Amino acid sequence: MTPHRTRFLTISAVTAAVAMAAAGCSSSGGGGSSNSSGKSSSAPVVIGASLSLTGDFSADGQAFRRGYELWASEINKSGGLLGRKVQLTFQNDASDPTTVATNYTKLIAQQKVNLVFGPFSTLLTVPAAKVAARYGYAFPEGAGGGPAVYQLKLPNIFNPSPPIADQLVPFADWVASLPATERPKTAAYPQVNDPFADPMTEAAQAVLQKAGVRTVYSKVYPAENPDYKAGADAVAASGAQMVVLGSVDVPTATAFIQAFEQQHYNPKIFAASAGPDQGADFVKAVGAKNTTGIMVPNGWYAGLPNPLSQAMVKAYLAKYHGTAADINADVAEGYSVGEITAAAVKATHSLDNKKIISYLHSGVTLQTVQGPVKFNSVGENVVAQKFIFQWQQGTKFVQVLPSSAAGSVPIVNPKPAWGS
Amino acid sequence: MGRELTEAIIDGILGGGVYALMAVGLTLIFGVLDIINIAQGILVVLGAYLSYVLAVHLHIDLFVGLLVTVPAMFLVGITIQWAFIRPLRGRERTSMSLLATYAVAIIIEGVLYIIFGANYVNLNSWYVTTGPRVFGFYLDYIYIYGFLLAVVLVAAIYVTLYRTQFGRSIRATMQDHTAARLVGINVNRVQMLTFGIGVAVTAAGGMVFGATGGGFNPNTGYDLISRLLAIIILGGLGSIAGAMIAAIFMITLEGVVDVLWSPSWSVVVFYIALVLVLAFRPQGLLGRKEVRAQ
Amino acid sequence: MSPPPAAPRAIRSARVARLARPGALLALLVIAAVFPLVVTNALDTQFAVDTLIYVAAVAAWNLFSGYSGYISLGHAVFFGSGAYTVGLLTEHWKVAGGTIFWLLPLAGLVAAAIAVPFGLIALRVRRHTFVVITIAIFFIFQLLAYNLSFTGGNQGISSPFFLWSAQNYNNPFYYVALILAVGTIALSWLIRHSRFGLQLLAIRDDEDRARGLGVRAMRVKLAAFVISGGITGMVGGLWWFFIGQALPETAFNPIFDVTVALMAFLGGFGTLAGPVLGALILEPLQQWVAITFTNGYTGEIALGVLFLLVILVLPRGIVPTGRELATSWQARRTRRRGGPGAPSGAAPPGSPAVPSPSPSGASSASGGGVQ
Repeated sequence: MTPHRTRFLTISAVTAAVAMAAAGCSSSGGGGSSNSSGKSSSAPVVIGASLSLTGDFSADGQAFRRGYELWASEINKSGGLLGRKVQLTFQNDASDPTTVATNYTKLIAQQKVNLVFGPFSTLLTVPAAKVAARYGYAFPEGAGGGPAVYQLKLPNIFNPSPPIADQLVPFADWVASLPATERPKTAAYPQVNDPFADPMTEAAQAVLQKAGVRTVYSKVYPAENPDYKAGADAVAASGAQMVVLGSVDVPTATAFIQAFEQQHYNPKIFAASAGPDQGADFVKAVGAKNTTGIMVPNGWYAGLPNPLSQAMVKAYLAKYHGTAADINADVAEGYSVGEITAAAVKATHSLDNKKIISYLHSGVTLQTVQGPVKFNSVGENVVAQKFIFQWQQGTKFVQVLPSSAAGSVPIVNPKPAWGS
Repeated sequence: MGRELTEAIIDGILGGGVYALMAVGLTLIFGVLDIINIAQGILVVLGAYLSYVLAVHLHIDLFVGLLVTVPAMFLVGITIQWAFIRPLRGRERTSMSLLATYAVAIIIEGVLYIIFGANYVNLNSWYVTTGPRVFGFYLDYIYIYGFLLAVVLVAAIYVTLYRTQFGRSIRATMQDHTAARLVGINVNRVQMLTFGIGVAVTAAGGMVFGATGGGFNPNTGYDLISRLLAIIILGGLGSIAGAMIAAIFMITLEGVVDVLWSPSWSVVVFYIALVLVLAFRPQGLLGRKEVRAQ
Repeated sequence: MSPPPAAPRAIRSARVARLARPGALLALLVIAAVFPLVVTNALDTQFAVDTLIYVAAVAAWNLFSGYSGYISLGHAVFFGSGAYTVGLLTEHWKVAGGTIFWLLPLAGLVAAAIAVPFGLIALRVRRHTFVVITIAIFFIFQLLAYNLSFTGGNQGISSPFFLWSAQNYNNPFYYVALILAVGTIALSWLIRHSRFGLQLLAIRDDEDRARGLGVRAMRVKLAAFVISGGITGMVGGLWWFFIGQALPETAFNPIFDVTVALMAFLGGFGTLAGPVLGALILEPLQQWVAITFTNGYTGEIALGVLFLLVILVLPRGIVPTGRELATSWQARRTRRRGGPGAPSGAAPPGSPAVPSPSPSGASSASGGGVQ
C-alpha cells in the first residue's frame, strides 16, 4: 500500500467521520428554534413536529402544517400559552419512518422543544410515538388512527380524530335502517389494501351483511397500483345496487367513478372511505355533474355548526384565502391537536409533559373544532363525532348523518345517474 | 364471467397500448445508447403536465396539444442526453448512466413539485368517459384513440428505422458502435437524436396516461418506472415490437387475474410470469440473443 | 540524475506506509468504539446508528454487486425478509428486551436461504436483465407482505415498547450496527484478497473468459449472493428492532435499493473503501439537505444537481478518481525531484502509472493493493 494511498484513505475516512458528527451536531435549521430552557416568561413555547412535506404523503403533510400553523397564530393572538408566544418548528420526514424517528429525537433530545405534535399517517405515528414515549413526552396527533397504533397501548398517544374503524358505521346503519323496498339487495366492496381503507370498509360490510345485503363483489387492491380499470369494470359488471369503496385518495376514487360512468353503471348508493372528502380537488377531478349523491365519512367539514370550527374557518380564510369548501379536513385535525394541547397546558398551568399526559387521561371532555374529545387509556377519542357527508347539487358538501345531529340535512337517495 | 373476461381482455389490449407508448421510448433508448433511462417515469409525468397546462390554460384539445408537447419533449430529451449522458465514458458507463438519469429524475420531480404542488390533477375531455358499446359493455374512446396512437407511432418508428437513411444509422449503431463509426456514422449525433425521439414518444404516452389514470402528481413517476422496466425486459431490450407485445401481455394478464382471482394478486402474477419467461428465455420475448460479455 | 538521494527517503516512506495503514484503521476503530460514550447526545447516536446501518448494507451489497459486476436492485428483499423474520419471531416467541438481538443471526439465515433460489433463477441471465429480475422479485416480496395474513398485511409487525432509558437507548443498537458494519468490511477485505474474490473479479471483467479459465461462475456468483443477502437480512432485522415497526412499504422499500446503489457508485463501485465512503458521505448529506431546505422540493433538486456534478467530475466515483489524482500528483512530484520517471519504490506492481482513459479503467488492477 503506497503512502499516498494510505494517506488518502485515512484522510477521507476521518473527513467522513467528522462530517457525520458535524451534520448530526448541527443544531439550527428547519424553521429556527431556541432552547427555551430559560425561566423568563417571554421565552417562546417551542412545539416541534415532523411532517411529510415531500414524498407520498406530501399533500396531506402540507395541509397538516397549515392546521398547526393556523392554531399557533390564533393562540398567539389571544396571548399564547401561559402568557408565552407559541413557536412551531418543523422537520421534513419525506414520509419515511427512519427519518421520522430521527426527527423526533432531534426535536426532543437536541433542540429540547417543550412539546411535540404528531406526524401524518399511521405508518409514521408508531416509530415517532415510541421515541416520544421514551422521553416521556405527550404525543397528540391527528392522523394516526389505525388499529396498529392503538394496539401498542402506549401511554402518551392522544388522537382527537375519530378512530378509523368505526367511521363508516353510521352510513351502514342508515342503509340497514331503510325499509326493505328501498334497501339495496346487493353490494360491492372494492377496497385498497391500506390500514385506513380496509378496517372501515370491512366494518361497514359486516353491518350490511347482517342486514341482509348480499355481497356480490369484495376484492382487495394492492396499495401501489396505478391501474384500477379492470377491477372497476368488474364491479360495474357485477351490477351491485350499492358500492362501498375503500379508497385512500382522490385518484383512486376518480378512477372508479370514471369507469362506472363510462360503463353506464349507476349504483343507487355510493360511499367511499376517502377522496370525496377532499373538497374542490375531488370536484375538479370527477366533474361537478358526477358528485351528487356520493357519501364519505369525516370528522369535520367547513360547514360544521360548531362555534370553534366556524371561528377556525374564518381565520383560515383570512390567512390562506380561498373558499370554505377548499379547506382540507387535515387542517381541522391538525388544529384540534393544538386545541387539546392548549387545554391541557391551561388546566395544569404547566408545560410538564407528565402532567399533560395524566390530565388528558383523566377522563375530562374537551371541545375542539372536530367536536367533543375524551380519551380512553390507549388514546382513542371515545366520544368522537362520526359524520357522514354527501355531495349535493354538484358542489355542495353537506352533513347528512347522524340525522339527528345539528346541521344534518336529508339524504339524497337514490344517487342520480352519472352526468346529470 | 364470460362477459367480464372478454371485457378484461379487450381492456387489457387497449390499455396495453397506453403502456406501450410509454415503454417504446425506453427500449429504443436502451437499444441505441445501451443505457437504462430511469428518468423515463418522471418524463411521462412531465409530458402529462405539459398536456395539462395546454388543456387547462389554453383550452387546447389533448390530442391537438401533442403537436406542441411532442417536439417540446424531443428538445428536452436531446438536452438531457447532450448535457448529462454523453460525457459519461468508460467501462462503468452503464452504471453511471443509472445514477445520472436518476439524478435528472429527481431534479425534474422537484421542479414539478415546485410548479404544480403535490395535488393530483387530471386530464379530462369528452372522450375520457364515453365510448362505444361492445358485447354488452362499454369501451373508452380514450383507450381506443390511445391504442391507435400507439400503433401509429410504432409504425412511424418502424418506417423510420427501415426506410430512411437515418433509420439505417440507428440500426447500425444498435448493432455495433465501433463498426458504425468506422463506416462514417456520427454515433454521437445518432445517440442524441434517438434519445430525443425516445423522450418525444413519452409525451404521447404521458398524455394518454394522464387521461386514463384517475389522477397524477409528481410522485407518480416512481410507480411507473419499475413497470416500464419490466415491460421492456419482457419484450426484449431494444425491441419495439417486443415492448408493445409485452405491454399488452402485462395489462391483459393483470386484468384477467383481477377478474378471475383478485386484484391483490394480479401484479404478483405478472412479475412471476416475467421471472419465468426470463428463466427460460433470458433475452426476453423478442430480444436478440446476446454474447455474454456484458 | 542519480538515484541515491532518493533511496533513504524511499525506505522511510516504505516504513511509514507499512505502519500507517493498520495504524490509521486502528485509530478509526477506537474512535468508533468510544463514540457513543463520548458523544452522549441522543441525536448524534441515533444518526450514527442510521449511518452504520447503511454502511453495513452498502458493504454487503458491494460484496456481491461490486465484485461481480451484477447490479442488484432487489437487496431490499433480504432487508425486508430479515426485518419480518425478527418481527415475527419476537411476536410468536414473545421475546423481550435485549434478547431480540440474538434473533439477528436467524434473520441472516432466513435471508440467505431466500437468496439461494433467488440467485439460481436470477444469475443465469445477462446483467441488464439481472437488474430487472431483482426488481421483479422485490415487488413480488413486497406484495406478498401485503397479501399474506401472517405478515400482518398492511398493519405490519410492530415491536413491543421497552422502557429503556432514553438517554442511552441508542447505544446497544450502535454497537450491534458497528459490529455488523466492521465485520462486513473485514469480510469484504478478506474476500478481496482470497482466491474466491479473484474469481469474482474475473467474472466481473469478462465472464466468458473466466469460465474458459475454469472458474465455476454460477457457484461463485451464488456464494457471493448468499453471503451478501444473509448479511443484509441481519441488517434488516436490526433496523426493525431499532425503528420498532415493519410495514410492507417500509421494510421492502425501493428507495433503499436505490440509495444503497447510489452510495456505492458515489464512493467508487467495486472498490473496498468506496461504498463505505459513499455511505458515510451520503447519509449525513441527505439529512443535511432535509434540514437546510425545509421546502423539501428544493432539497431534492439540490441533491440531484449534486449527483450530476459528482458524476461529471468524478465519473468513476470518489475513491478511484481520488486514487488517480493522488497517483498522478505523486508521479509529478517525483518527476520534479529529478528521480526516475516512475514513482518511488514503494508503489506496488500493477498500479497504473498514469490514469488511462482505456475502458479497463483504474479499478481493474489485477491483484495487488486494496481496492
